[in-house]
Formats: sequence, C-alpha cells, structure tokens
Amino acid sequence: MVLSVTDLKDKFRNPGPAELELIARYAMLPESGQRERAFEAFAETGLPHRRMEAWKWTDFKAAVKAVEAPEQGAQSAPLPAAGQAVIEFTAGGVTLPDTLPDGIQLHERTDAQALSDAEEVPLGAMTAALAGRVGGLDTLIIEVTGEASAPLHIVTRGDRDETNFARVSIIVRPGASLDLVESHVGGAGFSSFLLELSMQEGGAVRRTVLQRGSADEAQAITAVVNLGDKSEYVQTALAFGAKVARLETRLTHQESGSHATLNGAYLCAKGFHADYTSHVRHGAPSSVTRQVTKGAVLDGGTGVFQGKFHVPRTIGQHTDADMQHQALLLEDGAEIFAKPELEIYADDVECAHGNTSGALDPNQLFYMRQRGIPEAQARALLTEAFVSEALEEANDGVRDALLDAARSFLAETVA
Amino acid sequence: MRPMLKLDQLSATVGEDDEAKAIINGLSLYVPAGEVHAIMGPNGAGKSTLSYVLTGRDGYEVTGGSATLEGDDLLDMDPEDRAAKGLFLSFQYPVEIPGVPVMTFVRTAMNAQRKARGEEEISAPDFIKKSRELGKQLNLTPDMLKRPLNVGFSGGEKKRLEIFQMMMLEPHFAILDETDSGLDIDALRTVADGVNALRDPERGMLVITHYQRLLDHIKPDKVHVLAGGKIIKTGGPELALRLEKEGYDGVLGEAA
Ligand SMILES: Nc1ncnc2c1ncn2[C@@H]1O[C@H](COP(=O)(O)OP(=O)(O)OP(=O)(O)O)[C@@H](O)[C@H]1O
Ligand SMILES: [Mg+2]
Repeated sequence: MVLSVTDLKDKFRNPGPAELELIARYAMLPESGQRERAFEAFAETGLPHRRMEAWKWTDFKAAVKAVEAPEQGAQSAPLPAAGQAVIEFTAGGVTLPDTLPDGIQLHERTDAQALSDAEEVPLGAMTAALAGRVGGLDTLIIEVTGEASAPLHIVTRGDRDETNFARVSIIVRPGASLDLVESHVGGAGFSSFLLELSMQEGGAVRRTVLQRGSADEAQAITAVVNLGDKSEYVQTALAFGAKVARLETRLTHQESGSHATLNGAYLCAKGFHADYTSHVRHGAPSSVTRQVTKGAVLDGGTGVFQGKFHVPRTIGQHTDADMQHQALLLEDGAEIFAKPELEIYADDVECAHGNTSGALDPNQLFYMRQRGIPEAQARALLTEAFVSEALEEANDGVRDALLDAARSFLAETVA
Repeated sequence: MRPMLKLDQLSATVGEDDEAKAIINGLSLYVPAGEVHAIMGPNGAGKSTLSYVLTGRDGYEVTGGSATLEGDDLLDMDPEDRAAKGLFLSFQYPVEIPGVPVMTFVRTAMNAQRKARGEEEISAPDFIKKSRELGKQLNLTPDMLKRPLNVGFSGGEKKRLEIFQMMMLEPHFAILDETDSGLDIDALRTVADGVNALRDPERGMLVITHYQRLLDHIKPDKVHVLAGGKIIKTGGPELALRLEKEGYDGVLGEAA
C-alpha cells in the first residue's frame, strides 16, 4: 500500500464507517495526481449531508451508513437495447460492445483524467477518485467524430455488490451527434456514475436516462456537461428513486447559441427518494435552456427538485431560459421539496420559472369515474398523462419503454 | 311500462358537514323506459345538483328518499359502477383532461365499463370504425379525436364531444345537462339528431334545458319544472311553450 490510510482519514471531518471504507479502497488504487485531486475534493465534504445547502433534502451520509451489499441484485431490467451498442459497468468491470457504431471511438485510459468543477459535485469527485481498479481502466473516453450510426447505451447494474462506481467521458467533435441511453438499475449498495460530456461546435447529443434502484440502495448519477458553439443537448430522465437517489446535471453554455433541454420525471413509492438537481450556467450569450420536470409521489415517498439558472452579467446577455417543475402529491404522507432558483445578473434576458405541487384534480377524477373508469385507474391515467409530458423528447427507441415503466409502476402502486 | 329512473322523495345537501346546504328537497320523478323527459327551471334551482347526486359526485350527500335505475338502488354505488350500469351524464361544463387523447379516453372508459359488466373488450378495428362513423356524424374530425380530451376545444365542440361519448358508450339512461347551451344552430341540430338516434324503447333520457328551442328537435314525452329542489309542475311538451311565453313567474305563481 502506497498511501497511508491514517493520513487520508485526517483529510475528512468525522468520517463515518462508509467513508472509512471508501478511504481504504482509495488507498489500494494506484497513485495518480488527477485521482488525488478528485479525492481531495471529495474529502472536503465527505459523503454529502443535510447540513450542506445543496444536499439539505438528500442526505447520503445518513443513508449510506456502511458500504454493504443490498438484499438483492438489480430488480429492474435496463431499457431495451435493440440496435444499440451497449457498454455495461458492473462491480467486476466493464463489458464493451464487440463492434462500435460508425462515428464512435473508445479510448480506455488507465490514468485518471482531471475532473473540472470537482468541488461542486462531491459524489462526482468521489466517483472520479474511486472508479477504476488495479490494472483496469479508470476512465472510459468516448470520442464521437461524426453522426453516430447507432445509439450508445450505458448500463450500470450490480448483482448484490457493495459498490458500483463508473466514470465515462464523452467528447463530441464539431458537427458530430450521439444518441446516448443510460440505464442505472442499481443492484449495489452504493452506485455512482459520473458522466462528463463535452460538446464542440454544432454537436448534438440526446441523452435518455432511466434510474431505478431498490429501497436499500443509494444511487448517484452525476453529469457535467459543457456546450460549445451552437451545440444542442436534449436530456430526458425518468427516476424511480432508491433509498436515496440523486440525478444531478451541471450544465454550462460555454459558447453562444447553444440549446439545452433538460426534462425529467420522478415517481416515488413508499421508501423511495428521488432527487432531481440541475445547475445551468449561461456562460455565453444567446443560449437557450428549456426545462420541464414532473413528479408524482406516494405516501412514504420523497421527491426533490432543485433547479438553478445562473446568468452572469455580461456574458449571459440574450439568455432565453424557462424552468418548470410540477409535482403531484398522490396521497397524504407524500413529500415533495422544491427549490427553483433564478440567479440573473444580465439585464437583457428572458427567464421564467414555475413551480407547483398539489393533488389530482377532483373534477377530473369525477368526470372520468362518471364515464366508468374506476378511481384507481383514473388516478393512474391522469398521473401518467401528467408525467409523460416530460418524457416526450426521449430517444424514439426507448420512449415507449419509459412510458411503459411509468404506466406499470402507477398501475401497481396507485390505489 | 318498464321503469327506468325512479326518484322518490329524494333530498340531498351540498357542501361540508357544518356548512351543508339543502338543495334537493323531496324530489320525486319517474321516467319509464323509452321516454325522454325534459327538466326546466330557473338558475340555481338544483338541476345540475340533481344530476351530480344521481351520478354520485363527492360532496353531495343524500339525506332522504330513494333513487333507482332499472330497479337497482343507485345511491350506494360508486360513480364508476353507476356508469357501468348504464348511467351517463353529459356535463354542463365538460372537464379538460390534459394528456389523454379523446380516443384513448373513450376506449378506456368503454373497456372499463365492459369489464365491470363481465363483457369482452371492444376490438381495435371495431372501436376505430365506430368512432370514425360517429365522429363524422357529429362533425368531429379524426384530428380532433386525437387531441387531449376537451383541452382547447370550443364550448360547442365540448358539447359535441359529450354527445360523441354518449353515442360511443350507448348508456341505458342519459342525463343531458344543458347540452344545448353554447351550440350554434347547425350544431344544435347535429346534437339533436345524435340524441334522437339513441331514442329506443330500452333507453330513457332526462334533458335539462333552459330553452324550448332544443325541445323542437328532441320532442320530450314530458316536461317537468324544477324549482326550490323539487318538481313543482309536470306537463306535456306544451308546458315548455308556456314557460317560454309566460316565464317562470307566471307558471310558478299559478303552482304556488
Ligand atoms: N358546493 C356548493 N356549496 C354551496 N352551494 C352550492 C354548491 N354547489 C351548488 N350550490 C348551490 O346550489 C344551488 C343549485 O345549483 P345548481 O348548479 O344545481 O343549479 P342549476 O339548477 O343547475 O342552475 P343553472 O340553470 O344555472 O345551471 C345554487 O344556489 C348553487 O349556488
Ligand atoms: Mg346547472
């Protein structure tokens, strides 16, 4: 062992058993400056907890008491993958596709890459520090040089593992385009996936994400996205939560004229917690952001939405940004926490936001029941219609699977 | 005559317990199979309230009397069971259902009713054929039937959609609550034709309206005047004509 666990421990304030285990794992990995910087960034906070403003509703430190395997392996199937190139991360390693679609190249790196903004994404930093294994790859770098001829599908799936940490970095060259599908189906006590996406001039990426863990798992999916000149990014995520789950997107409009769509839906049953957090920086003029997040939560479930638009004084001019969050409390005992934030310093911008949460409309329910639709079915149908608006922009090949997943969840849980 | 709808001394309140307000006050009404009856009455008389009490809306409490449809007690059934039994209400104010296309909605309703009655689901081709035909009859284009139910539809279009649903669902007993309001002259005729097409010895209807005009097209067997939560006068089609001429004051003055 090259690094001393005692020295590493001192970098943390009050490390708990889970953090001690993560420190021990880090100490086993080959030394690297980049990895060390990521680890230092993680050490600043340790597992994020409720006393940190950005984590006040989503406390990983409390949820991940120890690094332990869950009762069962992954309980849900990944999204359909017909005609796609699949990359699967398990605790044992990564499985790469036999053939790659045209326009996509893979670079397996055994040396860790630097993570920009690491301090802002503590679980991203943790993943950058811990993804990889002795003699294995640290970061998978995907380079997209043209119009990818088939979607790329990243699966993270555990089989009663303690952890599953993976890091993928995607570079989209000028004018290139990619359809990216991700299925994060849990199966590990603590899963964390870090995506870094860098889009150059005129690039286009459609990202479609499914998150579904079990009630004894923690899951983090962190994306750091940079948009180049006139690039276009469309993200759609459907989250069912886990004991604690966070989907976080930190997006920067780095050059002008870029367009981002950030849509998502969360559906939480009893014992499930889904956190949908985004931070969008309009760091270049004339960029557009459209964000629609819908949620529906049952008794004993928790939904969290945190959205922030940051529009700096000069470079943010002519920003056009709209953020909508609408949530349904399907039963008494459902909890939804929402914090939409517009931080705008430029004066010539169009920014709007809306945030509502409430129950289903009794007039609609009665109308449907009068037509013969039983109450539970009416509730499920209204909820499905409500959340499906946020899923419309998903990749064609998996949109129906997302809708089916939402529909069968509602059919099973809504009474 | 086979009884369809039979209301006997029905009383009901609206609103929460401590603020409950008596709206229906000992209302008796009998509509046999095969007949169409009209209900007229001043604003606030309790006409819509009656239709909600009969269809089982939350917030309406029956405090006395009885209501049966084809001999079955309506009052202790859930709204969806009353619908499956064949009770249909064309709403005075149809409700928007965002995200659910008309076709999806109607098919869901139809199959839910069939399931409740222990019948087979309608096949996709049969459903499409039937909805095309009826849509055409009611001047509802296939594009309109793909839109979310009632969302962005004009007032008259919404009323035509109510009749479309009624014709699709083929209820045993239909209550039409001011289906004529908001309809243009041609649409009034279209809707009336639809309603008349459903007239059947096995079916009954209650048509709530303020205007004699609708009754020119849908000839009622009887006309009732509802005021103060009960039926205070019953007559033939000529009663509607008299009301139009003399107003409620004239007719009610005589009844009182
Ligand atoms: N939820 C409620 N709480 C209190 N009063 C109510 C409630 N709903 C209805 N009412 C009252 O009950 C009375 C009857 O209303 P209803 O809608 O049945 O009248 P209507 O005969 O259909 O009138 P219109 O011809 O205007 O449609 C009205 O005075 C109305 O204000
Ligand atoms: Mg009324």
